Amino acid sequence: MLKVSPKLLVQLYQQPELALQYSDLQWQSIILVLRHQQLLPRYAKRIMSIGIFEQISTYARHHFTNGLILAERQRQQIVFEAMKLSPDIRKRSEYAVYLKGAAYVLADHPVGDGRICSDIDILVDKCALQSIEQDLCFEGWFTEEINDYDDKYYREWAHEIPPLQHHLRGTVIDVHHNIVPLVSGKAPDVSILITEIRETQAGHQVLSPAAMTLHSAVHLFFNEDYKNGFRDLLDLHILMSVENSEQYWKALLSLAAESGFELELLLACRHAKRIWNTTVPNDVEKKLNLKFLDFHRVNDFIFERVLLPQHPLCSPNYSALAEFLAWARGHHKKMPMRILFYHFSVKGFRLFAEKLIGKHIFTKQNNMIR
Amino acid sequence: MEQLSLNLHPFRFGIECNIPAVRTNLEKIYGSRLSEDMSSIQDYSIRLDGVGGMRRFIRPQVRFFCDQKEPFKPLNLGQAYAFLEWGMNWTIAAHEVQNVIIHSAVLAKGDKAILFPAPPGSGKSTITAYLAFNGWRLLSDEMALINPNTLEVTPFVRPICLKNQSIDLARNWFPEAHFSTIAKDTHKGDVIHLSPPECSWEQSTVPAKIVGVVFPKYMPNNDLTIYQLSKLEAFAELANNAFNYGVAGKTGFETLTKVIDQSSCFEIHHSQLSDVKEFLEQDIIQHA
Repeated sequence: MLKVSPKLLVQLYQQPELALQYSDLQWQSIILVLRHQQLLPRYAKRIMSIGIFEQISTYARHHFTNGLILAERQRQQIVFEAMKLSPDIRKRSEYAVYLKGAAYVLADHPVGDGRICSDIDILVDKCALQSIEQDLCFEGWFTEEINDYDDKYYREWAHEIPPLQHHLRGTVIDVHHNIVPLVSGKAPDVSILITEIRETQAGHQVLSPAAMTLHSAVHLFFNEDYKNGFRDLLDLHILMSVENSEQYWKALLSLAAESGFELELLLACRHAKRIWNTTVPNDVEKKLNLKFLDFHRVNDFIFERVLLPQHPLCSPNYSALAEFLAWARGHHKKMPMRILFYHFSVKGFRLFAEKLIGKHIFTKQNNMIR
Repeated sequence: MEQLSLNLHPFRFGIECNIPAVRTNLEKIYGSRLSEDMSSIQDYSIRLDGVGGMRRFIRPQVRFFCDQKEPFKPLNLGQAYAFLEWGMNWTIAAHEVQNVIIHSAVLAKGDKAILFPAPPGSGKSTITAYLAFNGWRLLSDEMALINPNTLEVTPFVRPICLKNQSIDLARNWFPEAHFSTIAKDTHKGDVIHLSPPECSWEQSTVPAKIVGVVFPKYMPNNDLTIYQLSKLEAFAELANNAFNYGVAGKTGFETLTKVIDQSSCFEIHHSQLSDVKEFLEQDIIQHA
């Protein structure tokens, strides 16, 4: 099968008219990578936006159409769940703020157009967490089965409770009380975010565009998993490109300073610019750069790779090394050394056993197979 | 890893596999539709991977991948071929959302099709095999791909999956037919895959109009009993058996109601397959 260069995928997004040029042999690989990166519907919408969707190859249109139907279904699901969740949660908590994908969709922001999300993220008041979890349980939301260690990890150290899944509809929600793990020592004062709450037309709470962008950057760069890195950086590119006003950048800078995430913002600006050619005002980058002189070499090595699609047809040289470094960096950010050692001794044993006896020894019960 | 291409209307699969027994089965079941020519465009890339390491010696296992995704836990190596068939079903059910997909067998006389949506154990596959080898053509044993615009079923001809006692039955009935090896002790018991006769393969690109929906139930030593279903009962049952009714949303609802509107709907309790065939041909096909 043909390799796909990340550059081709970036170009196709920037100049959707290129979609008229590819052969089915090229589409075969492009579709595979876009599906893996959960980007089929976003690219389909992009191609539709210039009115040439009906003219592209039948093969590509077939697979794009499947992606569009799935994304539309997901949008409906998010709107439906939020209608019930918002009032239920706000009985207990002052605020129920949707984050990331669900927020993009509920805010009807261009970044939500064709965005696929695996779950619905909500930020609530930590004091109300227990009663919210109980209420949700009565509504049919249950914790997926996880092992004791993971449960302890969530409860003591994380910024969220274990994911809850609706027993009939299958939707998964992640209830957060902060945006990064408490144990990292970097969890900001939530009141900084609370002042940035905006209400959508339907009355759901989301963050202001600047806070939305900052959270998206924190989520991407304060992390160890870059499976969706390409998609997430594209989110940032779209947010920055659509919002791009003096006021927006000013708000973004001051929020980053206040919450202590200037490094994450710098990384977002730097790599969005490098990969997606995003317009970032010169003085914004200059200001951020001054604070973090001379740290770029290792970070660049990592992010130039992990922010590209992690698909065998697409991944760049040394991407396994970069992924490992990103994973180590992410863990180090999230946990202090003492806890990190403990974490690895538990996880490491499992990994070792899996290598020895096979990948699935800790997987519980089988899924439905027909 | 061996690279194979499986050209099945309306989808093409690229299959990577390192298990010789799977290839032998594929050749037996799919014949000329299987090739090593990788130049044609694949819709889905799937992979069956015999697990390495110590697992090769102790209860060897096999894993299924659809591109980079692994939707299921591994199975025993002896069940590899059945796993591939089920994996292909999953791949289509999970991705092909522009069709409304019902968990159902579909057989047709000419261009008139009958759906047999039924849970495992209802004798659905035995009826399927019997009809397919007695003058009907098979469109699918497992999933009805219904086009929401035309309300026709697009054939997706694949082998018939027979379980437990039906295995010996089918081998006696159709000694000349192409059978896969038996996968022992799966979650459905012992299963075997049976390739439908050539006429089903030959018409595998010809869609058919749905004229009947029949819910079969096997009742040993019973005479054939026929219950006419109300539109509402039939709709509820059909929706229960839909793989992607939820994803298809409004389109799904409209498609199913129209299908029910244009079909005669029955539940039948049967023990004699020849009686079933006679009923289907005289009471449904002739009147459609």
